[in-house]
Parts: sequence; structure tokens; C-alpha cells
Amino acid sequence: MEVGVLVLSGHWGRLEMQGQEKVLVVDHRKCTGCRLCELVCSVFHTGSSNPSRSRIKVAKWEDVGFYLPMACNHCEQAYCVEVCPTKACHREPENNNRVTIDKKLCIGCRTCIIACPFGHPFFDIQERITVKCDYCDGDPQCVRFCDVKAISFTDADKTNMAKKREAFLKYAESMKQVR
Amino acid sequence: MGSVHPIRNARYLKPQKEWKEIIAIYLYLAGMGAGSFVIGVLIYWMDPKPNPSFLPSINLFGYALNLSGVPIFWGPIMVAIGTPFLILDLGIKWRFMYACLNPRTSWVARGFIILSIFIILGLALLAKSLLPFEWLHGESVLWHIVEIIALVFAFGTAIYTGILLKATKSIPLWNTHLLPLLFLVSALSTGSMAIILSTLGTGLFPYDTGAFRVLMRGEQIFVVIEGIVLYLFLSRRYRAAEQGKDSVRLLLFGEMKLIFWGGIVLLGFVFPIILETIASFFPGSPVLIFAAGILLLCGGFFLRLGVLHAGIKEQIPMHRLIEIQYNVMTDKTKALAGVRLKNPDELIADG
Repeated sequence: MEVGVLVLSGHWGRLEMQGQEKVLVVDHRKCTGCRLCELVCSVFHTGSSNPSRSRIKVAKWEDVGFYLPMACNHCEQAYCVEVCPTKACHREPENNNRVTIDKKLCIGCRTCIIACPFGHPFFDIQERITVKCDYCDGDPQCVRFCDVKAISFTDADKTNMAKKREAFLKYAESMKQVR
Repeated sequence: MGSVHPIRNARYLKPQKEWKEIIAIYLYLAGMGAGSFVIGVLIYWMDPKPNPSFLPSINLFGYALNLSGVPIFWGPIMVAIGTPFLILDLGIKWRFMYACLNPRTSWVARGFIILSIFIILGLALLAKSLLPFEWLHGESVLWHIVEIIALVFAFGTAIYTGILLKATKSIPLWNTHLLPLLFLVSALSTGSMAIILSTLGTGLFPYDTGAFRVLMRGEQIFVVIEGIVLYLFLSRRYRAAEQGKDSVRLLLFGEMKLIFWGGIVLLGFVFPIILETIASFFPGSPVLIFAAGILLLCGGFFLRLGVLHAGIKEQIPMHRLIEIQYNVMTDKTKALAGVRLKNPDELIADG
């Protein structure tokens, strides 16, 4: 039984997509768990090849060969934006409607990490602030370097909505089978 | 004991690790300080006959300070001591001033404002009670207004410690109106006990007088209410969501059971009640009340520590999807392993 493509990103809960916005889409069935995405992400953002400072994390279950790259969903109703006391965590409609953190304003309170249901923003021990996926300013390195194309950066249009709908229909179907 | 589900318990259902002991100390000092200030102002308004002869006299630049208000107005000092713990927990500490920029939606920002106003007004009232200048102590409506505003912000501070956690919608254990209520009642019980200890220690009220008995009775009532609210909080959270249940189980029977049963139940409720009951039979000995007070104050701290450490994030549909996927893949793996094992047996059976 296949559950379907898992859409990790794409403005959670949004019904109408706007023009040219792009989102990260993950197909966990293609992921081999090589963690190259973590490496290139840390190199791009910090200059060091240190996956622990990456903005994307690959959850791995080696016993069944299940790998899931997890990045920020840039949610429509972003709890991290709501709870940020300094407005460091904010939305940028001009940049793919991304949710990003202003390094100059972040005080490192980690409230956003606790608020996020996906556990996404990460605390950077060296910079002492919270960091998160910012689509690498429009050219996500994880997408560029993923050999198996498990991560893609595609238009958030109705095609993706259809994919989401398909995935959730399959999910609903599998839930019925489980019950 | 059954096997632990590798996904449910290994990755997603771990309690949060972002807010630890430092935040618990902050929540405790802020709650206890605000609660003691509320009780202190109410005592001050009831105007009991204090016994200032027990208090030492201190001269500052030739002025004799009036210390009779200190044992009931010291609450803002505790809040002012607790607030740096919050700053200590920040990644970049010197940026704490930025924390009030987003009060529209952020409770951290609102808390920064609430605590700042309470500390300023509370310390002003403490300074007023200390300083001997006559022009400060005249009957003035202004001071009454300040007292009322400070009292409101003291309540705000005590409730805020719970709202700060309640605002985290993704943690079912915290996301309930009962948590601010629990922290408020706990602030009042620990605050009233702290006032009992300070007045007992400084001899502000003669032991076993009417005012002292009212204070003791009030504290006992708060402890009973706190116990009821704690029961309601845990039972409601147990039924609220899967992760609410996991949090309560973690607190009662899991890694946190020592903190819950030893720290919260025994130190915070059972021992103080037993000691205070025994103390009622020996009215000449305040030692038992001192012991009960110290234990109850420790219990208040463990309550916040336990609630903080047992916070588990809610499982979102994506997690459920992963669980199903994992189960499907596990079944496939088992089936494959079964086939591999079965074939040799069949071969043997077939001869």
C-alpha cells in the first residue's frame, strides 16, 4: 500500500494559491537518506560543512529504510510569526511568501521552536539565534544538489493543489483501512 | 512492559527541551513574588496592628528606615530577581530590550510589559513604605491608585506565567485555561506561605494572633484549591489529546514521576498539610510552620518544573501519515522475513 507523495511545504491550510509563488515539495519515496541536502544547506548558510547547523533535517528510520527530509512549511497561519516577541520571525510576501528570521532582531528565546508543530526552526549554538529555511533566497541548495530529485521547488499552483488533494485522499483511504 | 513504538516515542513524542530549569525558576519566582505581593497588599489594606518592636532599626544617611512594610511588600524584589533568569535563557542576552516589539500577538512581549510595570510600581510602593519622609505617607488618592494598579499587575504577573505556556498551541498539556488558573492559585498559596514565613521570621505579627490565623487559614484554603485545580488540570489534559495523555502519563508514571510524586505531591501538598495540622496542636512552636513553609515553597517550584518538562508536542496529520507508512513498511519487512524463514522449513518438511 502506497500512501503517496508527502507534501512537506506549501502554505499549510491555504486554499487559493497566488501567481508565481514557489514551494518546497518532498517525495519521501525517492529519498535515499544520503543527507547531502543537510550538508549543502549548512555550507550555503554558515560556510561550514556541519549538518547540525542545517535548515533541513532528514528523519531516518534505518530498520525499514524510511527517510524523510523535513523543512519549513512556511505555514499560512505561522505560529512562529505569532509568538515571536521581537518581530524577527516575519513573512516576506515579495519572496515567495516565505517566513524568515531577521538575524539582527532575533534574541534567541526559542519561543518559535516550541510553537512550531513541525519542530522546524533550529537553534544555532554558534550564532546563538534561531534559524530556519529561507529557500536560499530563491535557489534552494537542497533542491539543486539532490541527485534523486526527492526535493523539488515548484510553483504553488493548482497542480500542486491537485497533488496535495491526491495525497490526502490516499491518506484518508489508508486511514479507513487502518480503522 | 510492551515494546516502545520507534516513531511515536523515539522522535515525535519526546517532551520539549527548549525551556528547562532556568525558565522554571523564572516562572516560580515571578509567580511567588506576585502572589506574595497580592497577599501583602490585602494585609496592608486590612490594617492589622503590626509589632514593629521586633524589627531591627536601620539608619541610612541619618534617616531611620521604617522596616515594618518590608515583610509584606518584598514580592517585587523576587520578581525582579526572577526576570534576569529569563534574560539568562536568551541566546543573545543584551538584546532583551527588543522583547517588547510585538505585543499584538506575542505573550512574551506582553509579559515583558506586564512584568516591567509591576516591578516598577511594586518597588515604588516598597520604597515608599521604607522611607521615613512624612510627605510620602500623607493620605493621598494617588498612592491608593498606585496600589490598585500594582495589585492588578501582580495578578497579571501571576496569571501571565501560565498564559505564557498556554499560548503554545502545539503542546496539549499547556494549551488549557486551567494552567493559568493553576499557576495563579499556586502563586497565591506559595505567596501567602512566603508572607507567613517572612512575618513569622521578623515578628511583624505576634505569633498566633488574629491576623496570623487569618493568613494561615487563607494559605490552607489556597493549598486545597490548588490540589483540586491540579487534579482537574491533569484529568482534563489526559482526555484532551493523545499527547495530553502522554504528558500526564510521563508526569505520573514516566521519567517525571519522582518530580510529580516526590516534589509536587509530597513536598507541595502532603507534608505541609501534615506539619500544619501537627503545628495546630503545638501553638507555641513555629518551627513546624517554618518546615511546612519551606517544603511548600519547594513544591511550588517542582510544580512549574514538572509542567514544563512534561510538555509534548501534538501529533499533526503528517506524523500520523508517517506512522502509517512506517507500519506498512514494517509489515512488508516482516512478511519478507517470514517468507525467507518459511522457505527453508518447507524445504526440510518436503525432505
